[in-house]
Amino acid sequence: MSAAETLQRAPVKPFYFNTSAHLLRITKYKANTLAELLEALRECPEDSIFQHTFQTLEEHHFLGAGFSNDFAHWALAACNEASLAEALASVDVREFTSVSELRTRFVQILESYLRDNPESSPRAADETFYFCASDMVVMPTSFRANSLNEFAEGIRRVSVHSIHHHFIEARLRIKLMSNDFSQWLHEDAGLTETARSLNRIDIYTATLENVRQQIVRIVERALT
Amino acid sequence: MEPVSSEPAASLTASERTFDQDLPSRTERRTAPRTWETPPAPVPPPHLDDYQSIVGSAVLDELRFLARDLKGKTLKMVNSTAVGGGVAEMLNRLVPLLGELEVSTHWDVITGGNDFFEVTKAFHNALHGAEYELTRHAQEIFLTYNEQNRQRMQFNEDVIVIHDPQPAALIRARQDGQARWIWRCHIDLSNPHPQVWGFLRPFIEQYDAAIFSSQSFARQLPIPQYLFYPCIDPLSEKNKPLDDNFVQKVCEEFGVDRSRPVVTQVSRFDRLKDPVGVVQAFKLARKYVDCQLLLAGGGASDDPEGAIVLQEVKEAAGDDPDIIILDLPPWCALEINALQQASTLIVQKSIKEGFGLTVTEALWKGKPTIASAVGGIPNQVIDKRTGMLVHSVEGCAFQIRYLLTHSEFAAQLGRNGREHVKENFLMTTNVRRWLLLMQIVLGVATV
Repeated sequence: MSAAETLQRAPVKPFYFNTSAHLLRITKYKANTLAELLEALRECPEDSIFQHTFQTLEEHHFLGAGFSNDFAHWALAACNEASLAEALASVDVREFTSVSELRTRFVQILESYLRDNPESSPRAADETFYFCASDMVVMPTSFRANSLNEFAEGIRRVSVHSIHHHFIEARLRIKLMSNDFSQWLHEDAGLTETARSLNRIDIYTATLENVRQQIVRIVERALT
Repeated sequence: MEPVSSEPAASLTASERTFDQDLPSRTERRTAPRTWETPPAPVPPPHLDDYQSIVGSAVLDELRFLARDLKGKTLKMVNSTAVGGGVAEMLNRLVPLLGELEVSTHWDVITGGNDFFEVTKAFHNALHGAEYELTRHAQEIFLTYNEQNRQRMQFNEDVIVIHDPQPAALIRARQDGQARWIWRCHIDLSNPHPQVWGFLRPFIEQYDAAIFSSQSFARQLPIPQYLFYPCIDPLSEKNKPLDDNFVQKVCEEFGVDRSRPVVTQVSRFDRLKDPVGVVQAFKLARKYVDCQLLLAGGGASDDPEGAIVLQEVKEAAGDDPDIIILDLPPWCALEINALQQASTLIVQKSIKEGFGLTVTEALWKGKPTIASAVGGIPNQVIDKRTGMLVHSVEGCAFQIRYLLTHSEFAAQLGRNGREHVKENFLMTTNVRRWLLLMQIVLGVATV
């Protein structure tokens, strides 16, 4: 179905823009060496893994490139382990629909690296890595879309926290390799190609503001 | 107050001048110094809507939504001073904003004699790691005044927040009601004096939660610990946008030549801020790049050690006309703001630091910032992304040279730094954290 055809009718149901706010908790887990990082990665609560991957992307949303997750950042900045940092940074949170899978991936990377580089395991880092976690509160916004035009307007006006909530965090909620926007465009607005285009936006080479602009451009194309 | 400023140097371009050439000494070239006899009248606190142009309406809508679920709930803040110091400054802004959001907030200040505040000052230093012998007498003084305050105060609110160690024993007022008690610790507890911490810890463990300003400041405690970064108010005298005419006027008064790069450190004259190290780094850097150094601070007039450090800085500076040293009183926020805005680079070469709010101020003004990797600074300065982290005089000197000769990169650091502050270290973010915490501890939020 083409975009033009789809626009002949209203979406099956409106899109409700929500947002989320996070409060940081300091946990008892910390690491001064890569061996300690591995141990803490295995044992820390899942909301710590969430904080240092999904959530840190939101906190550093203004950095267009070079910031992936806190583990990679620490491996480079505090441990000077460039190849490990690259491996950790290559973990794309959008390939995971559960935090436990994500944890497993980080543990595998670190285990493999320390197997090949055992001398790195006990070496003291320049700074301690403190595992935090976040308590999340979800709330509605005043934006609701009954049409594609209203959807584009909502994207333009909501906060970047709302963009992060629907576009990045969403996969942990819906357990799909997708996001709330694409799901709505596909299921309720019948815009399958537009939905796919959105899902291909690279969140690691763009700021969240850039992501917002890219979404708007893709939706505007569907409107013309 | 003693502005030791100078007239602008004769306007030589970088190519014309020899950097170490003899120029007239500062004293010969300075204008009549400005003087401030008294602090200006306080400015009324801003309203929530005043922040809209800075953070956007969506962020304010989020605050209103979070507050809506707290309607009818009450909050009490208790600290040890109503004026002076970062905590009072923050509460002076926070309490009216929470009130505007209809979260009724009461702010009480404990009272005590000189003996109490001498003990709590000693506790404060000991908790930062200083040597101290905790006597039974000091414990009695601490507990007696806390008990007097407990009897004087009412604790009828839903959430009671006790700031710092001075009133920590007020937790004894806790009854079996529904009130939630929070301890907000603004100081670095990473290396506390064992006796003093051992004395305070049983009180802290009775709270429902604790809040720290950095992950590294926290202790292992059996209660939840939250992370609230300190914040700045973008509408305060120290951080609001200024008319360039005013900035120019301040620079002229202090002898800052805006046609040449200005490297600035704003800090009280304290060895932990390493002002002498900044002078050394500046002198190393200036062998290769033309620049001026501005050291703007205070504390030398009311602190004997500050006066000694100021003298050390002057000796290190010698008669270098490009080093401007300003000892300013605490009510010169507008002038400090202007000097930061006029700066090309900001340096914070501390040896030890709390959170480092002068770094936050610099980042908010979009200034490329070079700072030591100590205390809470790495939370703000993400190396090579929002600023440059350094570990030595030589490292600091190199980064001054690098950033002064790579203006595009420096500008990008400045832009990223401002965004980092906007997201994480502004007053509006602080309001959001308090609302979230209230929702969480009162069980209003589903987390």
